[in-house]
Amino acid sequence: MNERESLFRRLSAACGERGAAVEEPLPGGAPTAPEGDRVALFAKTFTAAGGVLLRGPVEKALSDLGEMLRSEGVTALFFPEDDAAAREIAEALVPFGPFNLTTGAEVRGGSAAVTAGFRAAEAAIAETGTIVETSAGGKTLLPGLIADVHVSIVPAASVVARMEEALAAFTEDPPRNISFLSGPSKTADIEQTLTVGAHGPKKAIALMVG
Amino acid sequence: MPYTTGMDPKGPIPVSLFFTCLADAFSPGVCTATVEVLERFGATVRVPLSQTCCGQPAFNSGNRKEARAMARKFLLSFPDDGFIVTPSGSCAAMVKHGYPVLFRDEPRMLARARAIGERIFELSQFLVDVLGVTDPKSDFSGKVTYHDSCHLRRGLGVIEAPRKLLRAVPGIEFVEMEESDRCCGFGGVFSLKYPQISCKMTERKVERILATGASYVTSGDLGCLLNIGGLISRIGYPVKTIHLAEILAGKTAGKEDAG
Amino acid sequence: MELNANAFGRNARKALLDKTLQEALGRTTGRFQAHRDAAVAALPEFEATRERASRIKGDVLDHLDTYLARFIEEAEKRGTIVHVARDAAQAREIAARIAWEEGITLAVKSKSMASEEVSFNEALQGAGVTVVESDLGEFIIQLAGEAPSHIIAPAVHKTREEISLLFERHLGEPRTDSIPELVGMARKHLRAKFLSAGMGVSGGNFLVADTGSVVLVTNEGNGRMGTVLPRVHLAVVGIEKVIPRMADLPTFLRLLPRSASGQVISSYVSIVTGTRRAGDPEGPERMHLLLLDCGRSAILEGKYREILKCIRCAACLNSCPVYQSVGGHAYGWVYSGPIGAVLTPLLVGLPEAAALPDASTLCGACADVCPVKIPLPDFLLELRSDAREQGLKTPGEIAAMKGYAGVMKRAGLLEAIERIAGVLGQFFTKGKGISGLPYPFSGWTERRDFPAPAAEPFRKQWKIKRGVTR
Ligand code: SF4
Repeated sequence: MNERESLFRRLSAACGERGAAVEEPLPGGAPTAPEGDRVALFAKTFTAAGGVLLRGPVEKALSDLGEMLRSEGVTALFFPEDDAAAREIAEALVPFGPFNLTTGAEVRGGSAAVTAGFRAAEAAIAETGTIVETSAGGKTLLPGLIADVHVSIVPAASVVARMEEALAAFTEDPPRNISFLSGPSKTADIEQTLTVGAHGPKKAIALMVG
Repeated sequence: MPYTTGMDPKGPIPVSLFFTCLADAFSPGVCTATVEVLERFGATVRVPLSQTCCGQPAFNSGNRKEARAMARKFLLSFPDDGFIVTPSGSCAAMVKHGYPVLFRDEPRMLARARAIGERIFELSQFLVDVLGVTDPKSDFSGKVTYHDSCHLRRGLGVIEAPRKLLRAVPGIEFVEMEESDRCCGFGGVFSLKYPQISCKMTERKVERILATGASYVTSGDLGCLLNIGGLISRIGYPVKTIHLAEILAGKTAGKEDAG
Repeated sequence: MELNANAFGRNARKALLDKTLQEALGRTTGRFQAHRDAAVAALPEFEATRERASRIKGDVLDHLDTYLARFIEEAEKRGTIVHVARDAAQAREIAARIAWEEGITLAVKSKSMASEEVSFNEALQGAGVTVVESDLGEFIIQLAGEAPSHIIAPAVHKTREEISLLFERHLGEPRTDSIPELVGMARKHLRAKFLSAGMGVSGGNFLVADTGSVVLVTNEGNGRMGTVLPRVHLAVVGIEKVIPRMADLPTFLRLLPRSASGQVISSYVSIVTGTRRAGDPEGPERMHLLLLDCGRSAILEGKYREILKCIRCAACLNSCPVYQSVGGHAYGWVYSGPIGAVLTPLLVGLPEAAALPDASTLCGACADVCPVKIPLPDFLLELRSDAREQGLKTPGEIAAMKGYAGVMKRAGLLEAIERIAGVLGQFFTKGKGISGLPYPFSGWTERRDFPAPAAEPFRKQWKIKRGVTR
C-alpha cells in the first residue's frame, strides 16, 4: 500500500459515515452588494488599501501620473508586448519625464533602473479595493510583480462588486495564476511599523479609464 | 431579555442561595449582602446548608473524577424548584456549562444538571434580567470602576446588567477602566501553576484600575477580587476591592451583624 | 523544529524578565487586536460569515476523504505532482528527494508554519540546498538563527537596532535606524535570490477542492514572487487546508486578513493552479505539492476534530493575555498562544507538551475572536482531563484534589475545617492578608497577599441568625 492509499484509509476510518457532503455553497455570509456606484466604492477601498487612484480627463491623469513616477525616481517603463492599453499609456507618458521604455525580460534580468510596470487589469473588486490580474491566455504578471511602481489600467466597466463576481469566471478551469493585488507590497515585520515595498511594488496606482 | 419561568409573577419569588465556598470561607459579607439585596426585591431566600463547592477548581484543572463527586453533591443539595442565585459569574457558569460536560455520559445526571442550569443566575443577571430591577436602591457612595470577570462576561454573556445597576446608584460615580474585559490573571489553579504570568496580568489590571482614579474596584466574582486585592494590599495602593453584592446592599450592609 | 513545550514555565519566566521582548509585546499584540476589532466592527456580516466559514470547515472535516480526493484529482489534472507524507521524517525525505531530482541548489521560501513542523529547512540543507526565508520577519530570524515567535509576525520580538546589526553582519549593509532602509536592504538582497532560485517553496492557506488550486495570502508579495519566478514551485500544506469550492474562497478571504491584522484584504492573494500553461511567459514548469498528515488524521478521528478548522490567523494569540505576557517562544514549538496550547499536544503527543494546556486562565478571549469558532477553552479543559487520565499529573496535585473533594463531600467537615482555619488565620494575621504561604501557594504570595479566612464563615452566621432552613 502506498502512502496515499494509507492516508485515505486513515481518513475514511476517521470520517466514518457522516452523510453526504454539502453540495452547494452554504447561503449567507456574503456582504450585501454595495449600494450605489461601484467605481466610487472601489476608489474608496483601493485608497484605503494604500493604492492611488487616478481618473478623469486623460491629459490631466497623464501629467499627474508622470509627476508621481518622477517623484518615485522612476526612470524606466515597461509593459506587456501584447497589452495595447498599457502600451498606449506608457508611450504617452514618455514626454512627461525623462523615462526610457524597457521590457519585462530586461527588468527580470536585473536592471538597476527604478521601474514602473504597466498592465491592463482584468477586473477590479469594489468590496476590497483589489486589482485582478491573471495569467489566462498567456498574459505576463511581471509589471505587477517586479516593478517598483505598478500602474494598472482599469476599465470602469470591469469593476465588480464583490470577490465572488471576480472569481466566477475561473471556477471551471482556472489559469495557473490568479492574483488579487490590493495596494502596494506591505510589511509590518519590523517593530510593527507599516512599510511599503517589501518585495513587490512600493506604489500601486490604478488609472481608471472609460 | 426577560426569562419566562412559568412562575406566577405576582407570587413569591423563591430563591435558593448558592453562596459559593470561596465567599463562605473568605468573605461571608458578600453572602449576607446578596441575601439582603435579594430580600429587598421580594425574594424569599432559602440557604441550602448542605452545599459546599461546585467543583470548579477540580474541573478546571482536569481532575474530573473529583469534580464529578462535588457536582453530584451540588445537584443534590439544591431543591427542584425556584431560582438559584449566586454572587459569582464563575460558579454559575460552572454549573451551567461545566456540569453538562461532566455528566455527558450519565443521562440522568445530565438531565438534572441541565434543569438546574436553567434555573441558576448570577446576582446582577437575576436582578436585571429576571426581576427587571432598574434601581437597586443602594445608598453606597464613591467613585467605582468595574472589572468584567471572564466567566460572567464571556461564560454567561452578562455585560450590561452590573453596569446598569451601578449607574443607577445615585451616590456612585461610575468610571469604566480600559480593558475592563481583560482577564485579571487569576484563573484558579493557573495562579498557582504559573504565578509569575498570573502576577504580570494582575499588575496590568491594577494599572488600569489605578488609571481611573476610582476608590473602589468591583466585580461579580470574588476570585478576581481576592486576586486583584492581594496585589493592591501588598503594594498598598489607594483603592479598595468590593464585591458587587456589597455595593448593591449599600452602606448598611452587614451592619446588623456588627450590632 | 525542536520541541521544548514542557519547559513552558521556565521559558515563560525567562520571557517575563526579557525587557526587549516585553517592550515588543506591549507594542504589538495590543495593536493587532485593536485593528482586528475595528475591522470586524466595520463588516456587519462578520458574524454570519464566521458562522458560514465554521460550517464549511465542519463539512470538510466530516468528509475530508472525499474533498481531499477531489482536490488531488483536480490538481493532478492540471499538472501538479502530489506527494503525501505520513510524518515529519517522511516529509523531509520527500522534500529532499524533490530538490535532488529537480537539481535545486537555491530555494526561496515564503512563510509556511506546516514546514516548520517537519523541520523542512534542515531537510533541504541536508540535501545541499540553500534555503532562504523570504518573509521579512522569517528572514530576520533566520539570520539570527532563531525560531519564529508569532504566526503572522515572526520577528515581533526583534528591535530595529538588533535587525540592523544582523544586516551589517550577514549582508554587509551599513548600520541604520530607518525601518524603510532596513526593508529596502532586505528587498534588494531577497530580490536577487528570487531571480536566481531554482525553486520557490510556499505554504498554502487554502486548497480549493473543485479546482485543485493552492491559495496564498501575503502582504509582502513574497508568496507571489516565489510562485511566479522560479522554475519549480513546491507547496507544503497540511491536509486539513481544503475548502470545497472556489466559490467558498471569498468567505475565508473576508475572515483571514480581518482576523489577522485588521485588513479588509491582504495585499496579495495568489490562487495558483497546476503548472504554467502552454504559452504562459512565466510560472513554474514543475509544481509539487507536499501534503502533510503528521498527526492530522489522528486528530480527525477524535474529540478535537474541530481544531483542524484553524486558518492560522493568529487572532487567538493576539487576544490571549498569557501570550501577550510571554510571547511565542515560551510555547516551545511551532505554534503558540491558545492554538499552540491545543494543537501542539495533539500533534506531538500530550506527554511531550502537557504543560501547555495549563498555560491559560480559561478567560475565553480566544474563543471570542476565532473566525472559525473553535472552542479553544473547552479543548484546553479536555486536554487537562486527558492529562489526568494519562497519568501526567503530579501525585501532589492528585492528592490535593482528592483531599479537597473529600472535604467538600460533607458540609459538616468543611465547616469544621473552616473553623480551625478561621481561628488560625485570625491568630496569625489579625484579619489582614497573608503574605507568605508554603508551596503550592508560595507562588501566589510572592507578590500578592492571600486573604485570611473569615473568623465566622457564612454558613455558621446563617445558622445562628436564621436557624437551619434545610
Ligand atoms: S484557532 Fe482560530 S483564532 Fe486561533 S489561529 Fe486558528 S483560526 Fe485563528
